[in-house]
Amino acid sequence: MTDDKERLDRAIIAMRVARELPPGATVNLGIGIPTLVSMFVADDSIVFYHSESGVLNCGPLAEDGNEDIDLINAGGQFLEPVPGMAYFSSVDAFAMIRGGHVDVTILGAHQVSATGDLANWMLPDRGVGNIGGAMDLAAGAEKVIVAMEHNDRNGNPKVVQECSFPLTGKGCVSLVVTDVAVMEPTPDGMALREVAPGWSADEVQSVTGARLIIPDSVAEYEV
Amino acid sequence: MTFSKLYDTPATAVADIHDGATLLIGGATRNSEPTALLVALLASGVRDLTCVCDFADWDGSEGVLQLAHAERIASIISPFPFAGESGGVIRKQWQAGALAVEVIPQGTLAERLRAAGAGIGGVFTPVVLGTRFADGRETRTVNGVECVLESPLRADFALIRADRADALGNLAYQGAQRGWNAVMAPAARITIAEVDVVGEPGAIDPELVITPGIYVNRVVHAPPTGEQG
Amino acid sequence: MPPAKLDPQAMARRAAGFIAPGDVVAVDSGLPSLVPGVTPPDLGAWFLRNNGMLNDLPLSLADAAAVTRGGYVDLAVVNAGQVDAAGSFSSLISTVHSGPNPPGNAVDLAAGSGRVIAMLPHADDQGRPNIVATLSSPADGLRCVSAIITDIAVIEVDSGGLTLAEVAPGWSGNDVRALTGADISISPALREMDFSPPTGVPPSKVYPDGPSAIADVPDGATVFIDGFGGPGGMAHYLLISLRDQGSRDLTIVSNTAGIARVVSFGTPPGRTAIDHSVLIENGQVAKAIASFPVSPSVSRPSEFELAYRRGEVDLELVPQGTLAERLRAGGAGIHAFYTPTGAGTLIAEGKESRNIDGRDYILEYGLRADFAIIRAHKADTNGNLVYRGTSRNFNAVMAPAARVTVVEVDEIVEAGQLDPEEIVTPGVFVQRIVKRPDAFTGYE
Repeated sequence: MTDDKERLDRAIIAMRVARELPPGATVNLGIGIPTLVSMFVADDSIVFYHSESGVLNCGPLAEDGNEDIDLINAGGQFLEPVPGMAYFSSVDAFAMIRGGHVDVTILGAHQVSATGDLANWMLPDRGVGNIGGAMDLAAGAEKVIVAMEHNDRNGNPKVVQECSFPLTGKGCVSLVVTDVAVMEPTPDGMALREVAPGWSADEVQSVTGARLIIPDSVAEYEV
Repeated sequence: MTFSKLYDTPATAVADIHDGATLLIGGATRNSEPTALLVALLASGVRDLTCVCDFADWDGSEGVLQLAHAERIASIISPFPFAGESGGVIRKQWQAGALAVEVIPQGTLAERLRAAGAGIGGVFTPVVLGTRFADGRETRTVNGVECVLESPLRADFALIRADRADALGNLAYQGAQRGWNAVMAPAARITIAEVDVVGEPGAIDPELVITPGIYVNRVVHAPPTGEQG
Repeated sequence: MPPAKLDPQAMARRAAGFIAPGDVVAVDSGLPSLVPGVTPPDLGAWFLRNNGMLNDLPLSLADAAAVTRGGYVDLAVVNAGQVDAAGSFSSLISTVHSGPNPPGNAVDLAAGSGRVIAMLPHADDQGRPNIVATLSSPADGLRCVSAIITDIAVIEVDSGGLTLAEVAPGWSGNDVRALTGADISISPALREMDFSPPTGVPPSKVYPDGPSAIADVPDGATVFIDGFGGPGGMAHYLLISLRDQGSRDLTIVSNTAGIARVVSFGTPPGRTAIDHSVLIENGQVAKAIASFPVSPSVSRPSEFELAYRRGEVDLELVPQGTLAERLRAGGAGIHAFYTPTGAGTLIAEGKESRNIDGRDYILEYGLRADFAIIRAHKADTNGNLVYRGTSRNFNAVMAPAARVTVVEVDEIVEAGQLDPEEIVTPGVFVQRIVKRPDAFTGYE
C-alpha cells in the first residue's frame, strides 16, 4: 500500500521542473503548479517568460498593492513590470507559440498517456471546458513538460496507457514530473526516470495507470 | 552571468552562415538594409546563397549587389529581382544561366514569410488568381471564392536592420525600416539584427518594441558609418 | 507640332481628383507615388505606399498586405506598363524588359482594392501605344482597371471597353484615338481634364456617447467583443450600451464568454465586474465563439455556462491561438489556413486534416463580423489606437476583422498627437470612437 507514503509537495515538483530549463530558453508557464516554476529558476540561469496574454520577458507575480489590470498573465494574475519586456497582440503571442519560438512550455494535465498524449482541457463530467492556449502550446512549443500530481483527488492515476479524456494534443509531451516520479513518454511507452525519496519503482507503478518501463536502477529525485 | 545576444563584430555574427544557405535580407532602402552584415558575409567567402529580398538590384543596395558581383548568389527570390532598366548584374547572370530567379509579388512574399514565422502550414487567398503566379498551383473554392494555396517560406538565416535593440534582442525601427525587417525576423531559424544603438534591457519602452527578442538570436552594433544616406 | 503632353505632376493632380474624403488609397511606385504630394491634407486620405508606410505610420509589409488584401483599400493607383481594352494591365513592358516581369506590389493592389486606376504615358518615346488590344507581357491585374490616366487623356474602362472621357488641354478626341492601340469610343460628353483638387473632409469618427455608437447593431449580428479575461482591455461602457440597446440573437466572438464576474481579478469587495454576462443574462446572446467560455471553477459557473446548460446558447469552442489567427485571417483577406493546433483532437473532427512536410495540420477559416466592440487606451481623431500593456491582446486583432469597429478609449487626442511609431492599430481599421466616461469604473 502506498496510501500513507509521503508525496512531494507542489513546490518541490516546481523545483524539479525548473532544472529542465536551459539558460536562455523562452518558457511559457501554464496555470497551477507550472506558475510556481518561476520561483525556482536559479538566479544565474536566465530564462525568458512568454505569456499568451501578450507579454514577453515578464516578471514575477505582482506584489500586493502593485496590481495593474493592464499587466496580467494568461491566468489573469497580475505581474510585476521588469526591464526588457515587450507587449504584443494575441495573434503575435500565438504566432510565437505555433511558429516554434517558445522553447519549453510547462502545463498541468488531467491525463498523460504512455506515448505522450496530453488531456488537460476538459473533464468529461462537466461536459464543457476551456481550451485557452493549451492546444496551441501542445502543438507549437518545442518541448512540453507536464507538472502535476500523480493521482487525482480520488486516487485515480493521471499517467495512463491511453487517455480517456478529450485530448489537447497527440504525442506532444516529452517529460512528466509528478509528486512521486519523473517519467518520459517514448514510442515504446512511459519510461520511469526518477522516483521521489522513499519510493520504489514498484510503488510508483502501483499508482500509475500506464505500464512503466523501469530501468535496472532508478535515480532518486534531485532538486 | 548576464545573458546577452550581443555579438562583438558582424563577422562573428555571420560566421556560421554556410554555403547553400537560404537568407532573408531585410530592407529596401539604404537605411533599412543590414549593410555591415552583408559586407561581413561577402568577406566570409560563403557561396551558393539563396537570397530572399525586396529590391535585389538597385543603386542604393550595397550588400546584395556586391554578393551578386562576387558570384555568391545561386538564387534570388524577389518581387523586384532586376534593375529598372535593361542592365544590371543580376539580369546578366540570370541570362547566362548562372543564377536562378523566382519572382513573387510583394504581398505574397510578405504573407508567406508571415506564415513561416507563425507556424501556419499554408493560406488560401484569391490574390494571384488568374495571373501567372497561380500557374500550376493548388486552388480551391472557399466560401464561394476561388483561392490559391500559398505555402510558408522559411529560411536558415535572416539578416535584418533595426534602429535600436536591447541585450535581450527586442527591436525598434524607424519609419519604413520596419517594412520587411519586421516580417523577416520571425521567419528564419537564426535571425541576426544589425542596429544603430544597443541598450540595456528596458532601454526600449515595452509598448514600442516591434520585434520581440524571442525572434532575434544575435544583435550586432553597427552604427552608420557616416556615408550619405 | 502636337500639343504638349502633361507632366507627371499634372497627371498626379488629375489622379488626386478621384479621391474621396477619407479614402484609403494604395499608391504604387513611379507615377502614382506623386499623388499624395498633390492631395490636400484636409481630405483625410490614407496613402499606403509599397514600402509599408500608411501616411506617416510605419507598417510591416505583412500588415500592409493585410490592409490591401483585407479589402480596406478604396482606390489603388497602379503604375502600369500597358493596359488593354478589358482593363487588364501589366506593370512593365516585355519589349524593354527581358526576363521575368517584376510585379512588385501590383498584383495585390489589383486584387484587393475597391477601385483601380492606372497611370502611364499614353505612348512610348517612339509613339507606340501603351493602351493596347493585347498585352505584350503577362497581366499583373485582370480586368480590374476602371480608369486610365495618361499624359493626354482620361479613359474610362467598363465591360463595353474603353471610353475616352477627358483630354489634356489642346488635344482632340481623334488625336488621342490615333495614339491608342485598342478600340476606343469617344464620350459624347468629352471634356477637357480638370486639375482642381478634390475637396471635402471625412466625417468625424468621434461619437458623443456609447449608445449612439452602437445604435445600429441589428438583431442577429456577429459581434467581436474584446476582453482576455480580466477587467483590463474590456469595453465595459460599450457593453452596457449594447445591453441597453437590446439587440438580440447575437453571436459573440471573444476569448472568454464572460468570466471576470466570477473570478475576482481584483474586483473591489461588494462590486460586480462588468463582462459579457450583462448581455447573456439579458437574453441577447444566441451563440458564443470562444476559447475560454466557462469559469475555471466548476463551483462558480458563469452566466454563460448556466445559459449553456439551460440550452439557451450555442457554443463554438476554438483554441485561443486559432481564434486569434481566424480573426487575423478575416481581416487580412485569408479565407482559410492550415494550423497544427488541435490536430488529432476533438477540434479536428469534421475538419480537413493534412500532413504537410511531416507535420499534421487542420484547415480553419477566416472569421469576420459586423461589429467589433473593443477597448484601447488612447485614440486620435483619425482612429489610430494605442493600448496599454497586456490589454492589447485581442483588441488589436479584432479591429481589422469587423465591418464596423467601435472603440472605447480613456482619452481622445487630436490627429498628430500620437507618435507614429507607437500606434498599434491604424485608423483605417477604426470607424467609431467613444470616450469612456470618467466616472465609469467597469464594475456595477
